[in-house]
Amino acid sequence: MHIEQLKLRNYRSYESLDLSFSPNINVLIGENAQGKTNIMEAIYVLAMAKSHRTSNDRELIRWGADYGKIEGAVQRKYGVLPLELTLSKKGKKARVNHLEQQRLSDYIGQLNVVMFAPEDLHLIKGSPQVRRRFLDMEIGQVSRVYLHDLLQFHKVMRQRNAILKANQGRSGLTDVMFDVYTDQYVDMAIRIIRKRFEFAEMLQKWAEPIHKGISRGLEELVITYETLKDIEPDQSAEEMAARLRERLEGLRQRELDRGVTLAGPHRDDLTFLVNGHDVQVYGSQGQQRTAALSLKLAEIELLRQETGESPVLLLDDVLSELDDYRQSHLLNTIQGQVQTLVTTTNVDGIMHETIQKADLYRVSAGTAEHENHDD
Amino acid sequence: MHYPEPISKLIDSFMKLPGIGPKTAARLAFHVLDMKEDTVLEFSKALVDAKRDLTFCSVCGHITDTDPCRICKDESRNKTMVCVVQEPKDVIAMEKMRDFNGLYHVLHGAISPMDGIGPEDINIPDLLKRLQDETVQEVILATNPTIEGEATAMYISRLIKPSGIRTTRIAHGLPVGGDLEYADEVTLSKALEGRREL
Repeated sequence: MHIEQLKLRNYRSYESLDLSFSPNINVLIGENAQGKTNIMEAIYVLAMAKSHRTSNDRELIRWGADYGKIEGAVQRKYGVLPLELTLSKKGKKARVNHLEQQRLSDYIGQLNVVMFAPEDLHLIKGSPQVRRRFLDMEIGQVSRVYLHDLLQFHKVMRQRNAILKANQGRSGLTDVMFDVYTDQYVDMAIRIIRKRFEFAEMLQKWAEPIHKGISRGLEELVITYETLKDIEPDQSAEEMAARLRERLEGLRQRELDRGVTLAGPHRDDLTFLVNGHDVQVYGSQGQQRTAALSLKLAEIELLRQETGESPVLLLDDVLSELDDYRQSHLLNTIQGQVQTLVTTTNVDGIMHETIQKADLYRVSAGTAEHENHDD
Repeated sequence: MHYPEPISKLIDSFMKLPGIGPKTAARLAFHVLDMKEDTVLEFSKALVDAKRDLTFCSVCGHITDTDPCRICKDESRNKTMVCVVQEPKDVIAMEKMRDFNGLYHVLHGAISPMDGIGPEDINIPDLLKRLQDETVQEVILATNPTIEGEATAMYISRLIKPSGIRTTRIAHGLPVGGDLEYADEVTLSKALEGRREL
């Protein structure tokens, strides 16, 4: 799929903007603080009905305006689909094909985007919490059952923690209720763990060749989901449950001391090994960036698998941070495959043929204009 | 908006009911002003009577105006089966079905450590007492299919299993008469998990 047209009204720095995009590579060029990222964000919001930068929708409305609007014409396999998102102080309204959608969940997914911005480096460098959120968001996008299980898991854990808290400091606990909630906890925890194993395996399958390509065949990326030491992906659900139960029993006294559940998917992590070394600890800045990029490109493949169409790729301010080889490999991979929007401060340093052929847009002070290379 | 005191009191009272917000409450209150005095008196008496005359059955915990309740007193019912539910409303739902001829036990809630509700805070001790003589042979656990309802059912079954009384849990899954395509993903996946051999 690709975005043919984008219309912004009272969005961030734009009072009014109309742009048409090519289905290949579109480069937005402009100095800092001219509104490049705002265009990227608008497309992201059009797809996800929320921003990647803020949870406060009011910030998206142009200063002083009562409402803002994003409209897009999305070319999909079966024709052009108009999407419209109106933001006001009271909330947002989403329209697909001019029909208002009662639930945002029915709206999200009409346009699929994958965004790569500098802050995505946190996926590699940040705390395990960031990676667990990534897992939950990505799996949740394709599986409602997972979202439900996740909700139930957190609820059971809160119940179990409440019992631990009530008995905090005691030595030993024999309580049928605690056993019941522990059983439920183990059951829900294993569901989550199994889904995450499955997802990590798919991610690995797609990211590994991509990473090899970007790194000139020099780096091998291995993504693994790390949970309890003795739980392996090929075990049966019963076996995993037995291991987790064993571990919880071993931790019982410490759990009672602290009043919280100490083993389970809420303490797990996703690790990235490059040539056998943990890239979070031993990787250079460039390696970490490449690993994050491979992950995002793998996401494109995953979405293509799930939906049968390529998502739109948004690369915000990342080109300049990659070396020449990585740049051209990235551009080669996406050329002719995925509609891509790239922001950059200048293209002079980027000699790649793909960029030379791309459509250019000059962004400055709240306007953006299409320009041709021939000009 | 400034209302005279009697009417703002009435609006406040209506707002204490579930599902009634300020607008509906105001609409109801103004409607009351238009009603005949007899009707209003009858209405207020019905409210007070419902509260005063209804108690909980000392055997099963269901709401009743006689103690024990009509269901517990009914000699034609099968006294070997007890169906455990969370709320009196659930008894009424089960009774509508007219297919269950056993007795009930109303818990008035579910165990939820998070909210400080333990087994002693709901009607579980009475249930255990009830099961001490030999009449009851099967306990059907019909608590809600939520985390707390499920945990409460599991808790009760563990307590009474050793006594040899049969404990069963009602099934959950697809609604009858509905098309598969209309079921949400979560219900469908539960239905699939609970599939049985034909």
